[in-house]
Amino acid sequence: MTKPLISVENLSVEYITDTSPVKAVRDVTFEIFHGEIFGLVGESGSGKSTVVQAMMRILPPPAYISGGKVFINNEDIMEASKSDIIGFRWKKISIVMQSALNALNPVLSVREQIHDVLDTHKGLNGKEADDRAKELLSLVDINYDRLESYPHQLSGGMKQRIVIAIALAIMPPIIIMDEPTTALDVIVEREIIAKIIELRKELGITILFITHDLNLLMEFADRLAIMKNGEIVELDKVKDIQKGGKHSYTKKLIGSIPSASGKRQKGLLSRPDSLNLSKSPILEVHNLEKVFQSPGIFNKNKIIAVNNVSFKIFKGEIVALVGESGSGKSTIAKLITRMIRPSAGSIYLDGKNKKVTESRSVPLEYRKTVQMVFQDPFGSLNSIHTVYHHLARPLLRHGLKEQEKILSHIIHLLEKVGLNPGEKFADKFPHEMSGGERQRVAIARALSLKPQIIVADEPTSMLDVSIRMDVLEIFAKMRKENNLTVLFITHDLASARYLADRIIVLKNGSIIEENTSEDLIQNPREKYTKQLVHAASPGWLNSLSKNS
Amino acid sequence: MNKSLAYITRRLGFYLIAAFAALTLNFIIPRLMPGDPASIIFARFKGKMNPEAINAMRQSFGLTNDPILIQYWSYLKGIFRGDLGTSIAYFPEPVSEIIGSGLLWTIFLAGLSLVVAFSIGTTLGVFIAWNRTGKLDTFLPPTLAFFGALPYFWLAMVFLYIFGFSMNWFPIGRAFGNQVTPGLNFPFLLSVLYHAILPAFTLIFVSIGGWMLSMRNTMISTLGADYITFANAKGLPSRLIMLRYAARNAILPNLTGFGMALGFVLSGALLTEMIFSYPGQGFLLLQAVQSQDFPLMQGIFMTITFAVLGANWLVDIAILFFDPRTRK
Amino acid sequence: MNKTTYQNSILSRWFIGIMSNQKAFTGSCVILIFALIAIFLPFFIQSPTDFLGTPLSPPSLEYIFGTNGQGQDVFAQTICGARQTLLVGFGAGILVVIIGALIGGIAGFYGGRTDDILSLLINIFLVMPGLPLMVILASYLPPTPGTLLGVLVFTGWAWNARVIRSQMMTFRNRDFVSAAIISGESNIRIIIVEIMPRMLSLLASSFIGASIYAIGAQVGLEFLGLGDVSTVTWGTNLYWASNDLALLTESWWTFIPTGLSIAMVSFALTLINFGIDEVSNPRLISERLWRNEIPEDMLNQGITPVFNPHD
Repeated sequence: MTKPLISVENLSVEYITDTSPVKAVRDVTFEIFHGEIFGLVGESGSGKSTVVQAMMRILPPPAYISGGKVFINNEDIMEASKSDIIGFRWKKISIVMQSALNALNPVLSVREQIHDVLDTHKGLNGKEADDRAKELLSLVDINYDRLESYPHQLSGGMKQRIVIAIALAIMPPIIIMDEPTTALDVIVEREIIAKIIELRKELGITILFITHDLNLLMEFADRLAIMKNGEIVELDKVKDIQKGGKHSYTKKLIGSIPSASGKRQKGLLSRPDSLNLSKSPILEVHNLEKVFQSPGIFNKNKIIAVNNVSFKIFKGEIVALVGESGSGKSTIAKLITRMIRPSAGSIYLDGKNKKVTESRSVPLEYRKTVQMVFQDPFGSLNSIHTVYHHLARPLLRHGLKEQEKILSHIIHLLEKVGLNPGEKFADKFPHEMSGGERQRVAIARALSLKPQIIVADEPTSMLDVSIRMDVLEIFAKMRKENNLTVLFITHDLASARYLADRIIVLKNGSIIEENTSEDLIQNPREKYTKQLVHAASPGWLNSLSKNS
Repeated sequence: MNKSLAYITRRLGFYLIAAFAALTLNFIIPRLMPGDPASIIFARFKGKMNPEAINAMRQSFGLTNDPILIQYWSYLKGIFRGDLGTSIAYFPEPVSEIIGSGLLWTIFLAGLSLVVAFSIGTTLGVFIAWNRTGKLDTFLPPTLAFFGALPYFWLAMVFLYIFGFSMNWFPIGRAFGNQVTPGLNFPFLLSVLYHAILPAFTLIFVSIGGWMLSMRNTMISTLGADYITFANAKGLPSRLIMLRYAARNAILPNLTGFGMALGFVLSGALLTEMIFSYPGQGFLLLQAVQSQDFPLMQGIFMTITFAVLGANWLVDIAILFFDPRTRK
Repeated sequence: MNKTTYQNSILSRWFIGIMSNQKAFTGSCVILIFALIAIFLPFFIQSPTDFLGTPLSPPSLEYIFGTNGQGQDVFAQTICGARQTLLVGFGAGILVVIIGALIGGIAGFYGGRTDDILSLLINIFLVMPGLPLMVILASYLPPTPGTLLGVLVFTGWAWNARVIRSQMMTFRNRDFVSAAIISGESNIRIIIVEIMPRMLSLLASSFIGASIYAIGAQVGLEFLGLGDVSTVTWGTNLYWASNDLALLTESWWTFIPTGLSIAMVSFALTLINFGIDEVSNPRLISERLWRNEIPEDMLNQGITPVFNPHD
């Protein structure tokens, strides 16, 4: 039996708070062997990032390691001296951090940041360092003229690649990758992962890959560990986990991930037996355009966020607007809810040819008809007010005055979105609830005025994977029982397929393709749509390596 | 248009508007006051001068009976010619000449103190935030904050009393001694330095706390950033991270605040000059107030405003070098 | 829960939170003491304007702070001087915050053209040096406390307006504000009920900062002789001390007590601000806790300590 490259034994990490310390990692044990790709999966708060940062002892205050050993090449990092630790950082183990967006120093150029590493560890300077830097950049397919660039001039994907290049600089035997692609668009993400695997083959490095996306990992990892609440609940070869896994949490994770390929699984989300749609649309968008001007009196920069977009939505339909960041989908949401005004084009509500974009002020009637659910469950509720306040205000504003009626209405709403018992939740403050509970409150708030249309802007992307389907089910149920119309905005093609009847694909402010969900998934017409569908389906890794 | 150039021009545009606003304010204030502005100004001369002479003075101060816009226009023309009016206390000397000599001394004293206080304060802030040890951080910020709460001129009095009058270590006033002749000679320069020590020390003493605290605060936020953790992970030497990664980022908000603090610090310098009879704008201002010399007061206001605006613009240009995000 | 008790509880929760911070509490106590002394003590001591003893006599049993150049009791002068100085100082503080909240709040909330214009206004006032402007205004106007108040507010409102504006802009972009707008809430209601309560700490520390500035600037102006020199305030005390050649005659007692009082009030106010800052910025608190709990030799910048608290 070969000796492991890294051995973690009973690692525990705590955080100092003004009450008693919080245990972030409890007694974690695992081994990583030479040349493998080891995955660490968990949702936010599971402790996965904490574990790897503890392994390098780079956890910032107020964290401290309360127990355990970590052997890297037979040396226990917990016992090492300060100079030893600095000695093995980057040479024996390096890390690509979560959201590389902030991993680069904003005031130094790429060249300076690579040089710092080369100078510190290898004493390389001047021309030698430049040569090595160029080599590293070419490893990740970045042109060396980017050496002079500053981080703010680079795209997210570029920054991520540069951070990977820096991690490779001294060729350590093992690289930790902490959610390296979470903040990136799905197509870019797949390309970078393909690149990482290619590098592994070329250079023979070992990789510890962390993500919340179990599906992603099962495509290319050899072994993986699943973490929940600071503990490892499952640790096995990927092949064995694919068969089902032992822990109930694993089963739950696997079961809650929709797939964008193959036949639509039955029972994942409620669907009416047949859709009887009226002839005239409840919402019609015509040649919509929105141009943003940079702020300040003397500024001339413009961004075209929405470019000549037209579509219709019928009552009782769920339509998904699918696109990556920058596609304009959020802007369209703001236009439809009239938070901003279009630069050109019109929006018609209820088919009465009532143009709603004329007047500056928005009539109260419109507010009753169109409501919105936001992406961030933490930001959409005001931390100083109770659930009762959030749900009562819209009712009071629209004329419902009697206290008892309001309270019973609210309790009914809360139970409808799955928060039982309603009375208990009505008095809670946002920080007393989990992300999922808060989002349900947000949905209840949107439903309280009995709107005709709800615009849901990425309602589940900030929630734990295991509860996403439950939350989307609320929308499906409301549509089935109350004929609610939903405009579902998302970057996730798979969940769009499960919730929506029709999908509209957006890119750079324009509509690329539009079709019923199943047809779009099975027979995508445009190139971009095909890329999206491939990226969301299992086996994407193979298709990518075939293409390169 | 290149982004840096556009930025500098935009800032210049703003300062021109601000200067204009100050000029207009300067013009309006005397004319807005209850009663005839001329009477206020010439109150002290009542009974000492005959009406014709007062009228003549009135003309020379631009307080004619012309419509207000004509007065405004000639006022602006005057400013562009460098004509800041005529002093009352030193009549008929033009204000611009009286101010001229004082300006340099103020710039010297305030500039010197500002540079020293900013450098030392900022450096202290970096170290205190970096070392994260309890002792220095629990005792230094409140102490320096206490010093910062002392009125400039009062502290000036205290220092003057202790080190000047009581112990006779330092001169009690003026910018240089009587024995030396002004010029680029060593005895003169030494005397200048000697006389500047106490007033500069006062200014530094009070203002250093502010710089230290704001740098400390920005350092603490910067130290929470991901790129610092990443820099640590890369095994870079401690000093390099502290300076090139942390301090270089933390100083940016302080530079932006530097410009705004200038006006404030200058006010303190003015008051300090008064105590030390330091022949700068502050001392002139005191004399102007005591003799109700309004044109001189207004002239000082204009020159100080222009100086502060100009300095602010220079700081904006400096930021261009420190923050690459403003450049391209 | 009815509306008024609910809103009161937001206020009282915030207040209790602030007061439980050591620094804020200490500072507030000191201010309270000064305020009580300023209001009540003058009734019990002799008039500060009576010409009593030999001028410029040092502190003695009869006159604890000695006498000034006119033979007046310095102790009485110091105590009585507090009233007007503190009144004008805090008065200016409140006015500055109100104006700042109005202008900064409107600029931050409404954005667009309104913001461009108001921001320009704020920046112009911000960049103009305060003291010379104050001097000119105060010289032209009659030397009353009202003049002082007006001049202080005129030159001091811009700083707070700017700070409040940027906080307002941050809140304006938050989803809960968007959600309120989409429910049909009026802008005024959103500002008052949803946003302002979240800005309590900012408003409080703005008030305190403005008061510190107002007290210092007021004293400075009076020192120059621009206040009513026949009244007894801390500033005029210093004016007379300087006029009566305190330094030359080495009569330190004529200006030290007043100056120290000013310093103590300013410092107490600064302490309160420190406290408010700590409460609203949790990172500062966790910094402090960190330094207290971890043994000193492990406080290495950049290396997570290995430490078992249960030992």
